[in-house]
Amino acid sequence: MAEPTLAARLDVSGLGARFDAVTAVADLDLTLASGSFTALLGPSGCGKSTTLAMVAGLLAPTTGDVRLDGASLLGVPAERRPVSLVFQKPLLFPHLTVEQNVAYGLRVRRPAGGGSGRASRQEVATQVEEMLERVRLGGLGRRRVGELSGGQEQRVALARALVLRPRLLLLDEPFSQLDADLRAEMRALVRELHDEAELTTLFVTHDQDEAVELADTIVLMLEGRLAGEGSPETFYTAPPSLAAARFFGATNEVRGLVVAGLFRGQGLLEGALTVPTTAPDGAGVLVVRPEAVGLDGEVPALVCATRFAGSDVLVDTELLDGQSVRVRVPLGTRVAVGDRLSLALVPDRCTVFTQEAE
Amino acid sequence: MSHPVVSTGPTTRQHAVRRGVPERLRALLLLSPALLVVGVFFVGGVVQAVLQSLGRQPFLGENDWSFDAYRATLADPAFRASLILTLRVVVVSTGLATVLGVAVALLVRRHARGPLTTLLQSTLAVPHLVGALCIGLLLSPSGFLSRLGAGVGAVDGQQDFPVLTNDAFGWGIIAEYTWKEAPFIAVVALASLTPHVRDLEGAARVLGAGRWRRFTSVTLPLIAPPVAAASVLVASFAAASYEVPRLLGQSFPATLPVVALQRYQDTDLLVRPQAMAVATIIAVSSLVLVAAYLSLVSRLSRRSL
Amino acid sequence: MRETLRDRSRARGLSRIRPPGGLRTSATVVVLATAVLLPLVPLLVWSVAGTWRYPDVVPGRVTRRGLDLVLDGEVVSATATSLLIALTVAALACAIGLSAGRAIGLHRFRGRRLVQFLLLAPVIVPGLAVTLGIQVFFVRYGLADTVLGVVLVQLMPTVPYAATLLGAAYANLDVDYERQARTLGSGPLRTFLTVTVPLLRPALVTTALLTFLISWSEYILTLLIGGGQVTTLPLLLFAAIGSSDRTAAAALGLLVVLPPVVIVVLVAGRLRGRDDAWMGLARG
Repeated sequence: MAEPTLAARLDVSGLGARFDAVTAVADLDLTLASGSFTALLGPSGCGKSTTLAMVAGLLAPTTGDVRLDGASLLGVPAERRPVSLVFQKPLLFPHLTVEQNVAYGLRVRRPAGGGSGRASRQEVATQVEEMLERVRLGGLGRRRVGELSGGQEQRVALARALVLRPRLLLLDEPFSQLDADLRAEMRALVRELHDEAELTTLFVTHDQDEAVELADTIVLMLEGRLAGEGSPETFYTAPPSLAAARFFGATNEVRGLVVAGLFRGQGLLEGALTVPTTAPDGAGVLVVRPEAVGLDGEVPALVCATRFAGSDVLVDTELLDGQSVRVRVPLGTRVAVGDRLSLALVPDRCTVFTQEAE
Repeated sequence: MSHPVVSTGPTTRQHAVRRGVPERLRALLLLSPALLVVGVFFVGGVVQAVLQSLGRQPFLGENDWSFDAYRATLADPAFRASLILTLRVVVVSTGLATVLGVAVALLVRRHARGPLTTLLQSTLAVPHLVGALCIGLLLSPSGFLSRLGAGVGAVDGQQDFPVLTNDAFGWGIIAEYTWKEAPFIAVVALASLTPHVRDLEGAARVLGAGRWRRFTSVTLPLIAPPVAAASVLVASFAAASYEVPRLLGQSFPATLPVVALQRYQDTDLLVRPQAMAVATIIAVSSLVLVAAYLSLVSRLSRRSL
Repeated sequence: MRETLRDRSRARGLSRIRPPGGLRTSATVVVLATAVLLPLVPLLVWSVAGTWRYPDVVPGRVTRRGLDLVLDGEVVSATATSLLIALTVAALACAIGLSAGRAIGLHRFRGRRLVQFLLLAPVIVPGLAVTLGIQVFFVRYGLADTVLGVVLVQLMPTVPYAATLLGAAYANLDVDYERQARTLGSGPLRTFLTVTVPLLRPALVTTALLTFLISWSEYILTLLIGGGQVTTLPLLLFAAIGSSDRTAAAALGLLVVLPPVVIVVLVAGRLRGRDDAWMGLARG
């Protein structure tokens, strides 16, 4: 069947992009191992799409370098990079049929990973049909673009990008315009295609659930800069920065002081809250997810409010010094407003950061 | 289902920065052939006309600047008569075309929009030259209308038919311009009578406004800007035409474009600066109209309709 | 004020209660159509009029002379010249307009207002005034009395017009299609030819047809630069109108008017609401 792809390793160093007075991306260092599936996650406007554009060659970086398997891509025009990019909109050429769209890139360049010169008409047709089968659109080659549904269009766009057997596949929020259930289907398809073809994939999204579900590695970008890198689990249990923690929904922040490896509550909380930590000495903030707070600990708290949240209950509590902590407890737990709880803040389920100057 | 998505335009997009040529330079390069054409022919032509009107005729050995041509032209009663004629013809035909065009648009907006629009558009396609012929065949003393009149007994022979072509007032010319340009105004007016306008009229109606009140306080103000812009265009086209006044008007007084060519073709080359003076006057007035049109149109796009 | 059902439904825009159209509307349409088409009637009739003495309403004898005239050598030659010039002008205007249109529609640059003005003025300022000025140069460079000269001078009203129309088309183009094509390996030229131009095709066709039309109908520019040596149909027609042969004039008039009307009917659908497109027709 298909020849094995030379899934590339991507090294981005010091990448930056400036437009007039605006810095879209600054000082980005990134490494994608060959064959990995990485999600580039971040809120809108954080520079993810700009980064993709620079890797694809559509935008010249102001600073930094992009290397594919060690060879620099700077100065190589987009049309000559062995990189495929799927945009947010399917961007199928409306004057061509599905088949012609998928074949578009084949008619120009040679497929990466070998092949002698331009593929013959028969080879092209075979590859196109195979690819359409893989995205479950077999037999729809003759259709015109206007006859397709949104989901089908995106699948054709995927097929068009993949048939070129790129060494690196870039996806720029390709499902954000689809309905929820369609999105789920497409996510599964992309992962499947990645695994089958052994690609290196960089998938941009602003949806953290999507990133967590799909990626081996998540790279978080905030305001044009790298804000953390790691497996999805790491972002939950040990977020790399306060900003990353906030982005991932760790809504509890408790302020205190770090002295000699211990985070201590201050003021009225003195003595009531101590958590071992590796954070440096100084003002610190303890971050913990609502579901990571236990009820069998030693930190006194008063229940202020409870709210039904579907599969569990959200309990808002107040600590001795007025700081609030939200706890997620399973349905059925007996908790009422006014109850006194003893919260458990376990070291390997919370993280302490240095307080930023406000 | 899939259509090219409307782009938000250059002001909000960031473009792929290609190596080498910065955006402004590239825009200039792309524009250069068009700008060359406009620069050489249009700007060059106007400048040449101005220069020659000021007396610069190198091949005749005349190299001094002088306003003689202008003085002579403006003092010439023939020129003044031409100016009055031109203004009269332009104002009357633009006025008639606008009123008729808007009236037609209002009449057919609800029910017969489609078929009549096609009809209007096809007469719009008739070149002025053919239009002049048609009006001549229709309105001349031995023309079609005259014969119809004689047929029903309203007219007692060619001499009895009112002189509508090659006449002193310019009725023939006015008739052609009105016939040709009223459809243009009608098409523009129809396009501006959008469902939104209808909604606003409905709102006015619910508030108690009667038909005339609705027309003057809602409909007219809403279609006025595009119609006004179109009227400015009609005025310029009416003033610009050579074929129509040449064929349907008298040779004296003639409209300005005809006068310009007459002077130009004069065997006395010393008259040429006067021809250029007339041409310059035409060009300058027209440029004023272009500026007026552009300002009207830009105000239009700033409004949210 | 008692509101009838009809008033209420009309206020709601539901004019279905009344049959769409109706007698009054049909009458209006007929009257309007007559008024609009009336001047064309004598043109048609005279083109086949053999003898038509005053005050007969209908020609005494019908003749083929007018139609035969259309096949006459001189007329055929003039038609060929008109066609050649119009096709060339349309092609050139579209090519130059495509380039300028890209700048206008897609790029930011200072001096936009000035460019707008420069692209509008040649369409509106009378061609005669401007051509009187440059005629000397056409003579000096040997372009006077030549077909090439006529083609060049006709670029003056058509190029800016094409640039405006194609500028609007480019503004409506989604540039991402070009970016996508590039990531698929297509260089700038190939992208332009295989993606951009097909996407612009409707606007290109419209622009080509309209510029063809402007050139086809042009009289005064051809007269001034062609010097009477380059004979196009409008020049023949003008001469015929000046003669006393109404049949010939009418027949030629029909020939001149045919392509514009056909083109406009074909193109009308695409020009909905685009005033500047109609401007080109209202001009000449």
